[in-house]
Parts: sequence; structure tokens; C-alpha cells
Amino acid sequence: MDMNEIKEIFFQECEEQLAELESGLLKLNDGDRDPETVNAVFRAVHSIKGGAGAFGLDDLVAFAHVFETTLDCVRSNKLEPGPDVLKVMLKSADVLADLVTASRDGGGVDEARSRGLVKELEALANGETLAPAAHVEAPKAAAAPAAPMPAPTDESGFQPIPFSFDDEPETSTFEVTFKPRRELYSKGNEAALLLRDLSRLGEMSIHCDIDSLPDLDKMDPEASYFGWTIFVTTEKSEDDIRAVFEFAEWDCDLEVKPVGAAETSEELPMVPVPFDLSALDDEPAVETSAVEETVAAAVSAAQTASDVSKVAAAAARVEKKEAAAPAAAAQNNAAQNNAAAAAAAAGQTIRVDLDRVDRLINLVGELVINQAMLSQSVIENDATGTSAVNMGLEELQQLTREIQDSVMAIRAQPVKPVFQRMSRIVREVADMVGKQIRLVTEGENTEVDKTVIDKIAEPLTHMIRNAVDHGIESPEKREAAGKDPEGTIKLSAKHRSGRILIELQDDGGGINRERVKQKAIDNDLISPDANLSDEEIDNLIFAPGFSTADQISDISGRGVGMDVVKRSIQALGGRISISSRPGLGSTFTMSLPLTLAVLDGMVVTVAGQTLVVPLTAIVETLQPEASAIHSFGATQRLISIRNSFCPLVDVGRILNFRATQANPVEGVALLVESEGGGQRALMVDAIQGQRQVVIKSLEANYTHVPGIAAATILGDGRVALILDVDAVVAASRGQSLRAEMSLAATG
Amino acid sequence: MAAKKAASGSLKLPSVLDLNEATALHGKLMSMRGSNVVIDASGVERMGVQCVQVLAAGAKTWKADKKSFLVEKASDAFEKTMQLIGINLDTLIAKEI
Repeated sequence: MDMNEIKEIFFQECEEQLAELESGLLKLNDGDRDPETVNAVFRAVHSIKGGAGAFGLDDLVAFAHVFETTLDCVRSNKLEPGPDVLKVMLKSADVLADLVTASRDGGGVDEARSRGLVKELEALANGETLAPAAHVEAPKAAAAPAAPMPAPTDESGFQPIPFSFDDEPETSTFEVTFKPRRELYSKGNEAALLLRDLSRLGEMSIHCDIDSLPDLDKMDPEASYFGWTIFVTTEKSEDDIRAVFEFAEWDCDLEVKPVGAAETSEELPMVPVPFDLSALDDEPAVETSAVEETVAAAVSAAQTASDVSKVAAAAARVEKKEAAAPAAAAQNNAAQNNAAAAAAAAGQTIRVDLDRVDRLINLVGELVINQAMLSQSVIENDATGTSAVNMGLEELQQLTREIQDSVMAIRAQPVKPVFQRMSRIVREVADMVGKQIRLVTEGENTEVDKTVIDKIAEPLTHMIRNAVDHGIESPEKREAAGKDPEGTIKLSAKHRSGRILIELQDDGGGINRERVKQKAIDNDLISPDANLSDEEIDNLIFAPGFSTADQISDISGRGVGMDVVKRSIQALGGRISISSRPGLGSTFTMSLPLTLAVLDGMVVTVAGQTLVVPLTAIVETLQPEASAIHSFGATQRLISIRNSFCPLVDVGRILNFRATQANPVEGVALLVESEGGGQRALMVDAIQGQRQVVIKSLEANYTHVPGIAAATILGDGRVALILDVDAVVAASRGQSLRAEMSLAATG
Repeated sequence: MAAKKAASGSLKLPSVLDLNEATALHGKLMSMRGSNVVIDASGVERMGVQCVQVLAAGAKTWKADKKSFLVEKASDAFEKTMQLIGINLDTLIAKEI
């Protein structure tokens, strides 16, 4: 493993820590005062600082240090995390994220902003804006904070923050009891180095407790048996002593207490530690040891993360490297066993290059098609379907299916990271336009294919900016309208009908239809005498070229309109719709496929064409009887199902496969549920069967076709179109597919 | 008697005895169980606590086995680390075979 790989792991860890940090801060912002939340936030910053230190990323270390110090005040109840404090902290989290990005990709950060925040954080830590909570102590009253304080980093240009020890004695003696746990070593920390650093603080005498050390044959060489009682006489503070153990504090039992010089124990045989330990300073000039130390530091940085699995993964790699070295076979086995044990203990996660997963998915897709073709030709040659080959193929089909499901599950990820990114955008844009906005998220753990997650971020960002800039009104306007001056944007995700539904809801003023219509007329999108419904006017914002000059601002009007958003969503096989209520706000609803690779479909025939209807949309299938069909108006027909009426939609007619409606009695009705929640009976001519099909994008290979979601290759090698059930249902409601087509053509 | 025929072996410690070495060191010592052993620590440049634990457990076991466990030619780093950790191997080692 070279340095770049180790660094890459560190940055991946950083991403996770930043997500933890942000979600913790948002929880605190919502009034959560669970100490574990505060600890999680602290640990996230602490880990980033630790890892950054190992790689010499000084800017990152310096900022993280100040941030961590302030967080420690919150952790030790010296600072109440009120809204003002959290505002600073959320901004600091953003800057920390910028610094991580800058360290990884090069480039700079907004230094003025970072300096400003450092000052604000320091002011908070110094108690300059302490909230008047009853239990909050004056900072100077805390003579010995229970929590360890990080070491001052003068070299990075920051002043140490004075908390205590106003009248620091010249030297004091501390009794330190230190008992490492196994994890301390397994995460790459070395107790000897901690003791060495401790000895540098002053005069030290030590007693090693070896009572728990078993005989050689009973010992586990990687376990921890030694513990120490140490007396240190030093000019430094208790915090400085604790700072020595700061990367290891979660993996050892540590007690530091000041003692009078006379109290230094007579009971224990103390061994004075030579002050000159220079012999230990010279790291051997073996290249691997430097790497190992860095790994150890990076690993120890990650140790504080709640997800220890990453540590095990890193440890496993180190062990693997060890195993690769020419060494005794016994050693190899032991190293591998240890790696395996570490991985097992940590819940077994590994990082895999996405390309490898994608290759696997592609191959499995091809396997599915190939298997379908094979089945088809066997069926054609085996009319009875009882041959051994046929039976074997059925099993193969099951297996292929399981493989495919398992492979797809690898790519499923929660939408949480994307949602978290949005909260930063809301904060920043709201600050820029002087609005007060709260982002509420729901269903962040809803899982969807990683491709969908990656591609949804950009349109979502654009929509969020729009919502903040145009959707939510200014605090004054809101107050005048009798609303809370703080606006709310709600971002939610849920699974519905085998798709993921993402909703973006604001409680702003809603779409100003008069203005939208006027703009559309001015931009020649509609004729001045057009008679449009409210819904049609709302949908005009998705028309290409709608973004107008007087809307252009730094935030949302960058010449990218909602039409681009709509196109990005459509390219993913998704749809976007808007509903708006004047004075109450707007809701954008995006419906996206869970995966872009496969779907379970019902293969049907419509006017001589083979179509695939996604199985997730189908509630039931039925053969309509003549008595159940009722006419409604000029062209509409309804089908009576168990004493309720459901509109009957002829798919062949809607898609223009035929000029007149087919006779329902001769076909089959598929009862489908659309995203809107309503049911429709889709008429098709016949059902061929059910199968899993591999989705081939129509947009990428041909062009977007209204009413069609994608295409697939059937077992006989023919291309079949996959029906976009919702578009067909919407079309049946009167929104014709051709209208959508004409809008697309304008773009 | 058996004591006369007791095999003796020497073990040269590697320069780096960090946490990755503890298992290997343990294995080597285990393979020498039952014989007198002379440890050559002259080349040790860096040593971690886990390896010290293994050596200390070895000394203790050899003492119980009534075999000799001698550390010869200790490097400065070896001695300083032992002092730093607060271990005196001599106290663990049998004075007489």
C-alpha cells in the first residue's frame, strides 16, 4: 500500500466523518441534547484532525483544532449549543469540508471566511457569548475539566485558549494510571510511544503492572497485558498530560489526578525513567516503518469513528501486506488469521472500486439476457417442457436471478449524503439572500442505486437554490402574510410503486401564475390567448427558455432553467411534477427508478407490438366481461371492479399504435397504481408472460419517447419497449403525450 | 540427565520489534521452548510494548521451566525501552539454571 492509497483512505474516512458531523450538528440544532450526539460530533472533528496531522495537512489541523476546542466546551457543558452557537458550528463544518476538499484536490478555500470563523469559534470557547443557561459554569471556574483538552498548537498560529490554571504552580505531580486495551494496539497505536511522549513532559517514574501476564503458551501476543502507574512531575497542566493520550483515549483506561509530592506512592516499586531517551527518537531508516507509522496514525484517527469496520479493513490491508512479505509460513497464517478475526469483529465491510461493481453488474445483465435466449431456444425445441435441460434451465434462472439481486444490492445506497449536501446549500444561499430557512429532511435512509444518487444531486441542488431564492419569501413578507419568518423547505424520500419518490416542498408564496403566464407570453412559449389550466401554467416553468432576465441572480438564475432539471430527471428514467398553492408554497415531486439496470416486467402484446409493463406498477390483471364495461362521456370507458369504477385506458390508442380503441372484451386489463395514487385499468391485447428484463436506456441509444421508459432485449433477440405507466396514466387524464412531445421538441 | 542434553539456542532479535512482529516473536520463542536460550538484542532499534510482553512472558515461562533465558548484547534502544516501560527482565529470569 503506498502513501497515496493510505491518503485516499483517509479522505474517504473524512467524507464519512463530515457526514457524521453534519448530521450530529443538525440533530443538536433540532434540540437533541443527548451527550452521545455531542460526543459523535466531537469525535468526527477529532478524527479528521488526527488523520490530517499524520499527513501534515496543517491548515486542516489548525482549523479542526479550534473547532474541536469549542466542541469540547459543549461536550463539557461549558457552552450551551444554542441556535447562534450552532449556526457558527454548521458554518465551521462547511469550512472544514472545504478544507478537506482543498487538501485532497488542491485549490484554496475562502481564507477570510475561515479566519472569521476561527475568531467566532475562539470567542465561543472563551465564553464571550455564553448562553445564560443555569447550569453553565463560568469557564474559569472549571479547574480541571473532566474531558481531555487538546494540546495548543502554537506552531499553527493559534493562541492556546485559556480555560483554567490561572495560578499555575511551578511544577506539580500527577499520578497517571494507564491501561491500554487490545484495541489500542490493533488500531496501530503504540503504548511505548505514548509513554515516551509522557516522559518528555517532566520527571517521570513508572511502575509496570505485569500481574496479568500469562505464560508464553497461554498468551495472545496481540493482546494487552501491561498496565502502568506513573508519577510525572511537570510544569505542564493536566490537560497537557491528557493530550498525550488523545488519539488513544477511547482505547485505554486512563486516570490522571494531581497528587501532592509527598503522596507519591511508596507501595509500588517505581522505576525512574531516564530523561534522555534520545536513543528511542531515531526511527530506523526502514522505509516500511515510516509507512506503518502513517498507517497507524491514519488508523488511529479513524478509531474514534463509530464505524470501526473501516479500521478493520485498513488493518486487514496492512496485514495482507505483511503476509505478502517473505516470512515464515506460520507467520503468514497468523497474520491472515488475525486480519480475518479483525474483519469479523468489525462487521465485515470492505471498500470496493465502483468500476469493479459496475463491470460485474454489466456482466450479470448480459448473463440474464443470455440465459433468457437459451431458455427460449430450449422451449422451442422441447414442447413438453419436461426435459432435463429444461429443468436445469429453470434452476439456472433462479440462480441468475439471485445473483442479479445480490449484485444490485451492492449498489444500493441511502440518499442521506445527497440530502446532507442540500442542507449546506440551503444555509449558504439563505445567508446570501438574507432569508431564514430551515431544511427538514425525511426518509434519508431510503436506498436507491448509486448512479441515481450521483445523478440526482445536480438537479436537486438547482431546485433547492430555486426554492430558497424564489420559493421562500423574505422574512418581512412572511411576517406580513402572517407566517413564521423562518421558512421551511422539506426534502423527503420514500419508496413508492417500486420507484423512489423525492419530494421538495417549500412553504413559500407558491407560483405566481400571472407572472409565469406573462413571461411565457413574452418569451413566445404560448400565445397570448392561450387558455391554460393552473397545472399547465405551473408546468410552464419546465419549458425550455423560461428562465428570464429579471430572475437572473447570483443564486439560481444562471441561465440554467428548470427545463434542464426536467431533462436530467428524464434521462434517469424519472419524471418531475409540480403542484403549487398560492400563498402556501410549492411541491416538486420527482419519481425515479430504484435501479437503472433491471426490472421485473410483464411482457404483453399491444397492436402487434411487444411491450414490457413494470411488475411493480401492476396491482392485478383481469379479463373484462362485457357487462363490466361502461361508457363515460364521448370517448372514456370505465370498468367496474368489485363495485367501484376505474377508468379503462387503451394502451395501443394512447401510444398511437392504432387509430381506434380496441374492444376491451377481447383484451386483458392490467390494474395499475400510479404515483398519484389513483388506479387505472390498462388495456392490452394479450399477456405473454413475466420475466426480469435488463433495462437499456432509450435516451442513450435512441431518444426519449413519450410514454416509454426504456427498452430491453428479449430472449429471441427482439427489442421490446418498457411502458412508462405513469406517463400513460397522466396522458389518460387529459395531459396528452403529444403535448409533452411538443414541449420536448421546443427544447 | 536431561539437563545435560538440553539444547540451547540463540535468537537474534530483528531491528524493528513493533506490533506487527509480536506474533512472529511469540512463534519463534514457542519453538525454542524447553531449551536454554540466549537473546541477542544488539540490533534492536525500535521495540513496542507487545513485543516486550512476549519477551517478559518468555522470561517468566523459562523461569518456570527452570531453563536459562539470557539477554545478551542489548542495544541502547532496547535498554531504554525497557526502562521506559518499567520492565526489568532480570527480575523475571532465573538466576540459576
